[in-house]
Amino acid sequence: MVAADDLELTVENGEYLCLLGPTGAGKTTTLRIIAGLTAPDSGQVFLDEKDVTKAEPEERNAVLLSQTYSLFPTMTVAENILFGPEIRKVPEEEKKRTLIELLDLVRLTKRADSYPRELSGGMQQRNALARALATNPDVLLLDEPLRALDARLRIDLRHELRSLAKALGLTVIHVTHDQEEALVMADRIAVIRDGRIIQVGTPREVFDSPATPFVANFVGQSNFFTGSILCSGNDRTTTVHDEEGRVVFARPCALPVDSKVVVAVKIGNTRVVKKSDAFLTGTVERALFEGRIVHLDVDVPGLGRYSVKLPASRRDQVSVGDEIGLNWSVKKASVFPYPEGGLENELKVD
Amino acid sequence: MPEVELRGIVKRFGKVTASRDIDLKIADGEYVTILGPSGCGKTTLIRMIAGIIEPSEGKVLIGGRDMEGVPIEERDIGYVFQNIALFPHLNALGNVSYGPVVRNKDRKEVEEIPRRYLELVKLLDRMKMFPSELSGGEQQKVSLARALASGAKILLLDEPLSALDARVRMDLRYELRRITKDLGLTVVHVTHDQEEAMTVSDRIVLMRNGRIVETNTPEMLYLEPKDLFTANFVGETNLLEGVVKEVLEDRSLVELRDGTVVEARPSKFKSGDAVVLSIRPERVHPASEGLGAVIRCITFMGTYIRISVETDSEDRVNFDVSTSEDRDYNIGDRVDLIWSKRSGILYPRPPEGVQEAIKLE
Amino acid sequence: MKRQDQLLEFVNRKGFRKGWSAFIIAFFLLFVVLPTVFVVTYAITDWDAISITVLSNPKTMAIIWDAIAVSFAIAVIVTVIDFFAGLPVAWMLVRKDFRGKELLDTLIDMPLAVPTAALGFSAAIFWVVDPSPVPLSLSIISSPFILIVLLHVVFSYPYMVRSLAAILEEIDETYETAGRTLGASRLTAARTITLPLFRAGLATGVILCFSRSMSETGGTLIALSTMSSLGIVAADSFATGPTLIADWRTLSFTDPSYTPALAFVSILLIILSLVLLVVLKLLIMKFHLPLRRVWPMPEKMLSRGIFPKLKDGSALFFLAMIVLVPSFFIFTYVLFATPQAAEWDSFIFALGYSFLLAGIVTIIDIALGIPFALYISKHREKRSSHVLDVLVNVPLIVPTAALGISLTLFWSNIGSLSGLEFFILVLAHVAFTYPLVVRNVAGAVEEIDPSYEETARTLGANPMQSFRRVLYPLVKGSILAGAIMAFTRSLGETGATQAILGNNAPTAPVFIVALVQSDAFFQAGLACIILIIVSYVFMLMLRYITRKRKEVI
Repeated sequence: MVAADDLELTVENGEYLCLLGPTGAGKTTTLRIIAGLTAPDSGQVFLDEKDVTKAEPEERNAVLLSQTYSLFPTMTVAENILFGPEIRKVPEEEKKRTLIELLDLVRLTKRADSYPRELSGGMQQRNALARALATNPDVLLLDEPLRALDARLRIDLRHELRSLAKALGLTVIHVTHDQEEALVMADRIAVIRDGRIIQVGTPREVFDSPATPFVANFVGQSNFFTGSILCSGNDRTTTVHDEEGRVVFARPCALPVDSKVVVAVKIGNTRVVKKSDAFLTGTVERALFEGRIVHLDVDVPGLGRYSVKLPASRRDQVSVGDEIGLNWSVKKASVFPYPEGGLENELKVD
Repeated sequence: MPEVELRGIVKRFGKVTASRDIDLKIADGEYVTILGPSGCGKTTLIRMIAGIIEPSEGKVLIGGRDMEGVPIEERDIGYVFQNIALFPHLNALGNVSYGPVVRNKDRKEVEEIPRRYLELVKLLDRMKMFPSELSGGEQQKVSLARALASGAKILLLDEPLSALDARVRMDLRYELRRITKDLGLTVVHVTHDQEEAMTVSDRIVLMRNGRIVETNTPEMLYLEPKDLFTANFVGETNLLEGVVKEVLEDRSLVELRDGTVVEARPSKFKSGDAVVLSIRPERVHPASEGLGAVIRCITFMGTYIRISVETDSEDRVNFDVSTSEDRDYNIGDRVDLIWSKRSGILYPRPPEGVQEAIKLE
Repeated sequence: MKRQDQLLEFVNRKGFRKGWSAFIIAFFLLFVVLPTVFVVTYAITDWDAISITVLSNPKTMAIIWDAIAVSFAIAVIVTVIDFFAGLPVAWMLVRKDFRGKELLDTLIDMPLAVPTAALGFSAAIFWVVDPSPVPLSLSIISSPFILIVLLHVVFSYPYMVRSLAAILEEIDETYETAGRTLGASRLTAARTITLPLFRAGLATGVILCFSRSMSETGGTLIALSTMSSLGIVAADSFATGPTLIADWRTLSFTDPSYTPALAFVSILLIILSLVLLVVLKLLIMKFHLPLRRVWPMPEKMLSRGIFPKLKDGSALFFLAMIVLVPSFFIFTYVLFATPQAAEWDSFIFALGYSFLLAGIVTIIDIALGIPFALYISKHREKRSSHVLDVLVNVPLIVPTAALGISLTLFWSNIGSLSGLEFFILVLAHVAFTYPLVVRNVAGAVEEIDPSYEETARTLGANPMQSFRRVLYPLVKGSILAGAIMAFTRSLGETGATQAILGNNAPTAPVFIVALVQSDAFFQAGLACIILIIVSYVFMLMLRYITRKRKEVI
């Protein structure tokens, strides 16, 4: 089995990079190769321009924070933090200083003598983070650091984790399956699937200009329209039509006329409009209140289900059973050549 | 008549009280979510309904019948586990057939029922696969089919999606609601994910420290939270501390720490009361005048941009602007913020402090 | 300081680590596995001797076949009884919460702390028909076969309960609960879901019980000779494989013509038990319980009301009457018997000798067993590790009396034995206690999430440091548990000791056997009690340490 295939990635000093992909995409394997816990079958790993492919994990100064944190159960919070400095035989004075600073940084001063099992999930995560920071790592490798936490807590900790990394100027590689987490936290996102990196870019690039239909759907859900190019002559729009004669518009692309394509547009960028302005029309099947938005499932005859996120303030304007029109801003819609293995296969996230 | 009722439930584990004074009625065909942070006692509650544990005090009634002493297998419930718990030695079909087989259905039904439910979750083509050969999402769908095939009219879902990837979770929760509504089942769903709770439920029961904080429809819980904890837990919100200056017929006026006076809904407070003003990020808008603030952080959220500012009153406020907006925002810029007086809700300032009152763990 | 650092660095070199691993494996193969099965080569080198003195002698052959058949029959019956009596108790220990669970947990292990020599004496006095019975004894058994079955049940039962409980603990209870929410009654769910997931544990339990019963010597010898002293003639001519070896071994000291027969019995026992255990393992893995069939009504009925209580009650009654009371009946005996003068000097010498032996054996086991356990648990993906893992069990399975014969042959092949008895004895005891330490430690290491050590490595710890600071504190309890098991096992061992040195071996259990054989019952009883108390102190230490470990994790 190939877990990571022909993978090439450069992470800048002080950068926060998210490695985003579904379970089994090879994210953790990549992280372990960087840490030196798994040897690559071929290829090289460089840290600070130095080839470390053959180096033992302890010689790399790349600290891995595993999903379950792996806090040593026989040690207290403070002993866990001091594990790295102990090993390095750091002088007593300096150790004491590091400990006080780090306990303060992660707000665990009062719990220094507790054992990990006595801490809540969030505290354990902070303890593990402090332990990693105590060794002054060149690279911090985070393997789904927020997965084990409650959904609501996760949202708060995203900001906390990122600001901490930024304040300390750390280089971070953060593995996650949660696209929202990646969008919010990363300087750059690398989308990985089946062991290959499909796209690397800033959150905005990855969200607004996805490289493949998979990225379009994985990083923020998308609606898809399959058809062929009617006209792509001008540099402002591409016109796509299907056999039923429906016509939609998307941003310009370099594909020739008549080629089979898919148009992808984020469900958040799909708008509910009057039927006269619509690209497509359909019936509202379901309206689910999600707080700041209302999630609409719209059945477009012959095309299946389209989803729309309507601002909650407009929820009175639409109700289940209504016939509504859908369109989108031309520059928010991407055009891709029709994927070889079929669209459904391309979009599979599980 | 599969309605579920809990009357005065208390559950103690040694010295720890996991649930106290729980009164809850779930109607036939209703989809109710029990929402709360880790350790709030939500799983204990659903396990008592299932009969896996017995309450220390109080009664569980299913269809009006007292369930005391009724073993799990006679309660007619389907239970979907957080860790999925498909029988590893049986394939998908074997798992789904388990219910009909042990309930001694006749041969025709044992053949037919499992296939019907596997069809429902669109996994008929994978029925010969063993659990270890299925992806996480598929496993959970099989486990749902297994629960349904046993003929349950009440479905208990114990954090059914939390073991799955974020993206799979999103797709599956719509599926969950669609299937259960089509079959007309009564559902009790336990989760810590407020977004999940909002999308699937008819009604949400919010719990904290073993007690029910608030019970309401997702919409009411989001728009009219009666409690500060609810306001913060169900959707994000900004909390500003201040003192009531005056309460008028159509609005309340609140003076913030720097003396700025802002508006909120009319309330029963008297002038001089210490309050917390809650206002959702999507309700805060930049304007030419209002509460002064400095931009501290800008985050791209896909379809919108989240801007985090520090106000002159030393409060942290988030607000959202559309990605298509013309105005350029930069860190360090000054902005003035306003909101509609109907969007601001006032709560008494908790004696233990705001942070303690909204603490998540 | 500097020299220490240099040493550490040297130890951490890859070359050194490889060399060390090779040494550990070589030790295991040369000193544990090879001597254990060496006797088989005797069949090749001295086939003529065997065919002349044994195969062509129908009387000898009949005795051999009888003894081996008896051994197998006893082992099979004992294992079956253990399983049915042990399963409800294992279930109670893992799945139920009740008052007195702690006590039950302790009671189960109690027979393990009693050396089998003491057990044999105790059980015989409790069961066997006696013209002037000891007060409170049952005194109803007059068949040696039944007595030996009852005796073997006593000391194999704890192994069965422990292995079943261990595997039960690993099977997520959610499966059973899931089955019940789907409409299965308690019994149906347990039978159709938990039991099929159970096979691995069943195999371990069966193999342990079976081989314990097959290899037991001391207790059996004592029980038989007690029986014959009480006037039951059938016991005189009754022999199991190991007791036959013990008898013939004693004779062979004066009459070397017994050697080929001795070797032949040993070879047969070793080969048959290995073959049988492989077959047994395969059978259990392939054996299908009636999964698909359910009988909802009867099973529902059996899940309710009085039936579960009846089942638990009879299992507990079994534990008390068949296992516990006979094990400790010796205390009653000594209380009522007429005191006799005892030769304390020689017993104290024997006790000291046994302790020294067990101590040295345990130290060797730990020093060389831990690296070996680490090696096999860390190289799971390699084939060689699997082979080694299987080989570790060989000395456990092989009857110790046969092992002793094999060892004697092996070492006398290399050189003269005189003066080296103690050394040979140490090696023999290492051979059958080594697997206990290895199994315990390897099991514990495998249960520990490898991410602890990996994290330590990325934090800058070299392999030695990450073992010493992270892994060692976590498996400390299991290392000690293994050590104490090895110690008590060595302390109570008769078969191998006797096979090497005959009845004059200066260890405590052999001393007791000699006392019983010379009808010095009271002295034997007292000696047993002292041995029990000493062993029991160690058992308490074991429980104390393992309990502490559970709290930490």
